[in-house]
Amino acid sequence: MLPAAVRWDYVTSRRSVEDPRLQLLVDGVVRLAAGDLDARIEPSEDRDDIDAVITGVNLLAEELGYIHSELEQRVAARTAMLRRTQVELEQMAKTDALTGLANRTLLTERIQEAILSSADGGKAPAVLILDLDSFKAINDILGHSAGDAALVEVANRLRSAVRASDTVARLGGDEFAILITAATKDEILQIAHRASEYLQDSVRIGIETVWAMASIGVCIGTPGYPAEALMRDADIAMYQAKARGRNNVQLFHPDMLDAVRERSRITAELRTAVAGGELALLYQPVVELASGRVIGIEALLRWHHPVRGTIMPGSFIGIAEETGLIFELGRWVLHEGVAQMNRWSQTDPGLPDFCLHINLSAAELLRPDLLEDIRDTLAQHGVDPRRLVLEITETVLMSRGTGEEHVLSRLRELGVGLQIDDFGTGYSSISYLRSLPADTVKVDQSLIKDMESDPRQQKFVSAILQLISAAGLNATVEGIETAEQAAQLEAMGCLFGQGYFYGYPVPAAEVPERLRRPAPRLYS
Amino acid sequence: MVPDTADGGKAGVDLSVDGLLHLRWLPGVDIQVEDARAAMAKVNELCQQEQHPMLVDMAAVASVSREARGVWSIPCGASRIALLGTSPVDRVLANFFLGVHVPPCPTRFFTSRSDALAWLNPGA
Repeated sequence: MLPAAVRWDYVTSRRSVEDPRLQLLVDGVVRLAAGDLDARIEPSEDRDDIDAVITGVNLLAEELGYIHSELEQRVAARTAMLRRTQVELEQMAKTDALTGLANRTLLTERIQEAILSSADGGKAPAVLILDLDSFKAINDILGHSAGDAALVEVANRLRSAVRASDTVARLGGDEFAILITAATKDEILQIAHRASEYLQDSVRIGIETVWAMASIGVCIGTPGYPAEALMRDADIAMYQAKARGRNNVQLFHPDMLDAVRERSRITAELRTAVAGGELALLYQPVVELASGRVIGIEALLRWHHPVRGTIMPGSFIGIAEETGLIFELGRWVLHEGVAQMNRWSQTDPGLPDFCLHINLSAAELLRPDLLEDIRDTLAQHGVDPRRLVLEITETVLMSRGTGEEHVLSRLRELGVGLQIDDFGTGYSSISYLRSLPADTVKVDQSLIKDMESDPRQQKFVSAILQLISAAGLNATVEGIETAEQAAQLEAMGCLFGQGYFYGYPVPAAEVPERLRRPAPRLYS
Repeated sequence: MVPDTADGGKAGVDLSVDGLLHLRWLPGVDIQVEDARAAMAKVNELCQQEQHPMLVDMAAVASVSREARGVWSIPCGASRIALLGTSPVDRVLANFFLGVHVPPCPTRFFTSRSDALAWLNPGA
């Protein structure tokens, strides 16, 4: 016989275990545990403790379902936000921040896409490269914010010049590109000329008016034309447009590529020319017209190429200036010329006094060690600075900045002579002539070309010589080829001259004899 | 006073002369969000900008949806609420309301009507 309390518990327990609601409850919890958060257990009408547990489980399941669903919504929202951010980042990575145009990355992608979509017989895409012609001046004079405003305006004009299917891109700085797809050659050129035309109008920036015209290179692809080649060839055509006076449109032609390769080859070979001993100086006399006496010798650079023979400076100085090789060439010319002065004084001590003329390029004037190099070289070879004359083009002297101004005055302090070269070929301001830091002026040979047959040209040259004289400078006329020219110039009061009439450029060994021999005289 | 039945017909609300609101949920109802809103609208209508203690008779309510419980988190004309139930199920339902949502006024669950009324009218 069990005690009463225990018996009651036992009975209660037995009744609970036998209650079918408990099995329902267990099943419901199992379903919930399996992830079926919509599972619910039906309570009975008893509303007793078991129903309370069932109700509690139902409510907890409801809460769990709500939390789960809210979490899913949050994850979905965050995922969507991440996707949006990713799209925005991609957009930013492919867009030019200033103008909103495509950048180089997006342009390259679009070119690739256009090439792919044209592979099945469609028209190959075309690329235009546009480089603004005077943008640096806008930035330098009006500041970068004005420059930015001009770039934005250019971007807008280019957008309006193309079709909706074309892509306008900014490649960086003042360089833009346009991708034209599915168009005929005529349509492509029409778009290129329209872009050029839209850039002819001035751009208003605040109270200033500027122009942002462009040199435009066009490359029309053909089946199989790679994307890089399209860009490269459009770029080559753009440089051709620059070379042809800027503000024009040039269509790429394979010959242009040959020219570029030629320049590239020259650049590579020029790098080894100095060390390889392929450079040489020839010397041309500068003569006092009245006496025929040689008062100077101009050192002229020649490149004796092992395969292509002698190359004149006109074919490589431009490239040397672009590539920075001009520094090395200039240094070599200075060292060789001054060293030669010393050698002449050793081999021919009795030679009459004369100056060595050396051409100095615009870029060289800003060579950091130029002054030191000149001073040390002269000292090393025992050459008086007054026997060195540096010939500098008038364009350099006219547009000189503070850096150049400083170098020029230091050179004068050193005692080195300065001569304005190629006078009459640039755009000299006459009033400026008096303030130029030079002693002599070399009048360009183009001015005396037709002098013998054209009386008006004679008057013109005469006026120029008087002008130079009035500015307190001495004139040397170059390119004198005939006795008549020499006579006319002397009659005009010109003191010095240079040209084939007085002597061709000769190797150093022939100079002493030339110095001793009087020049051709007009009058005996 | 005759109970004023709220929209949906699942509850009756009245305001006695001594200022006690009485909300009676009918036995066996499943309270959905619209039922809760209707009941609250009726309470606010009776209160006329004044606040009154409220006795909620919820004995024998079958279920209260989550959204319906959320409605009673919004302040209404009740100054304090006594939830009156009888069974363990009522207790669970009431405590889920009290635990999951923050009531806008003092709210307690009672199983004794007299205790509930005493708590609602402490000065009486």
